[in-house]
Amino acid sequence: MTIDLQEAPAKETESPPVANNIFASSAGDPEQFELLGGYCDACDDYSFPQSEHCHRCHADTRLVGLGTDGVIYSFTVVRTRPPLGLPQPYAVAYIDLKDVPLRVFCLLDPEQTGDIAIGAGVRLSVGQLGINNVGQDCLRPFFQLLPENRDF
Amino acid sequence: MAMIIGASVIAFGRKPGRSIVSMAVEAGLGAMRDANVNFAQVGVGFFANALGAKLFGDMTIGQNVFAELGLSQIPVINTENACTSGSTAFYLAQSCIAAGQSDLALVIGSEKMCVPELGLIDSGANELDTQLGMVTPAGFAMRAQRHMYEFGTTREQLAAVTVKSRKQAALNPLAQFRTPETIDEILASPLIADPLTRSQCCPIADGAAALLLASDDYAARLERGIRIDAAVLTSGSYENQADIACWETDSRTAEQAYEQAGIGPGDLDLVECHDAFTIAEIMHYEGLGLCRPGEGGALVASGATSLGGRIPVNASGGLLSRGHPVAATGIAQIAELVLQLRQEAGSRQVANCKTGLAHCMGGDRKGDTKSCTIVVLSR
Repeated sequence: MTIDLQEAPAKETESPPVANNIFASSAGDPEQFELLGGYCDACDDYSFPQSEHCHRCHADTRLVGLGTDGVIYSFTVVRTRPPLGLPQPYAVAYIDLKDVPLRVFCLLDPEQTGDIAIGAGVRLSVGQLGINNVGQDCLRPFFQLLPENRDF
Repeated sequence: MAMIIGASVIAFGRKPGRSIVSMAVEAGLGAMRDANVNFAQVGVGFFANALGAKLFGDMTIGQNVFAELGLSQIPVINTENACTSGSTAFYLAQSCIAAGQSDLALVIGSEKMCVPELGLIDSGANELDTQLGMVTPAGFAMRAQRHMYEFGTTREQLAAVTVKSRKQAALNPLAQFRTPETIDEILASPLIADPLTRSQCCPIADGAAALLLASDDYAARLERGIRIDAAVLTSGSYENQADIACWETDSRTAEQAYEQAGIGPGDLDLVECHDAFTIAEIMHYEGLGLCRPGEGGALVASGATSLGGRIPVNASGGLLSRGHPVAATGIAQIAELVLQLRQEAGSRQVANCKTGLAHCMGGDRKGDTKSCTIVVLSR
């Protein structure tokens, strides 16, 4: 599934995103964020973050939406002194995305570190979390547990 | 191929006042004295360091090291490949000798990490994963979570890796942590990244190690040559969707090494593997074919990988107890095999050790390692 993102600008915020072209408002719901990544039409292959060129055929990829939801494949809570001004503790996970065949690494909601489980359903959010490489507050994507932690 | 005629490791640990260069020179001198050959015959130098540029703003350190050893004018190659920096330098050195470029190659790895600026190791400041909170312990912790989920590996089995490591390190005067720890103590130490506690994570260290390699013809004139049967360097597959509970890069690299050496895992007498975290050692058992996938936890708990067991792993204490000065590690692992194959390992000697394997991996990208090295040695 691909989404045309030309009409889906990022929300206006004071802080810059931690990186460009990794999330945007969902085309279907402006209140909801989705991940962005690369797609090669010839190889039907996705990448996150976007690879400029397809690793298989080396054609240019295009930026597409990767959807909002996924399932936790694995996770951990990092309890030692965190990098990049992240909260202590903070949680990270590999997420199997629902809409495209990608397993991505991402932050989880640091407010939910006690409830995480493999197989739990999650949805993307974006918020001010930590600082970037030049010490500025910045926006980072993170997944939140769905209330019912449903499997897809 | 080539042979190893000299080996040296300096004690790993906190070494305030010692520089990357001074530790490297000590190790290099040690390897040269061990081989007892003329310095002027060294035709090429390889130097490994991973963090000097980041922590101290240093670069091309190898030329400083080899100049201090009185080895100027020769080709000097600096290598950085994360935790395999040292074993990558070794890989290049044996290739150089096998190609007939030189009769003697000196390989040195040195790292200084015990400084406040270090922080948690990551795989590059500008990688998106790093920017989203990926630090090395987190990557291995997620492997542990998935391994436990898929195979029923237990926290006690993870801790058993450290119990074994400390016990074996007590027999190695160069190791950093030599005090025994129980499973309860290991599990009660502070959580670093769930489920890995502090005692399940290798300590940072300052340290250096060196090896002197020789052509077959040159080594034939000496009596202490250890044969290099395989030396393999690979990089990750980075396939989506990466299976983080079974390390394809491990098994793929091992297959190449076994084929090159003409042996199988059943022929090994000793393994030194990259046990940066307890789960890593368990997964490397499986990747190296010491047991079937998913059975690594049971293997360590059975005692099969302890000294005196079916296939001793990390007799030196490994990264978990010897310490992990990144660029020295891969060379120190090979140096341990050299000692064992010479039957000079003292109280940790593996009886009748004839064939050993050293495994190292470094860096992280998309749920895979960036580099993996395997070396097989025999006498």
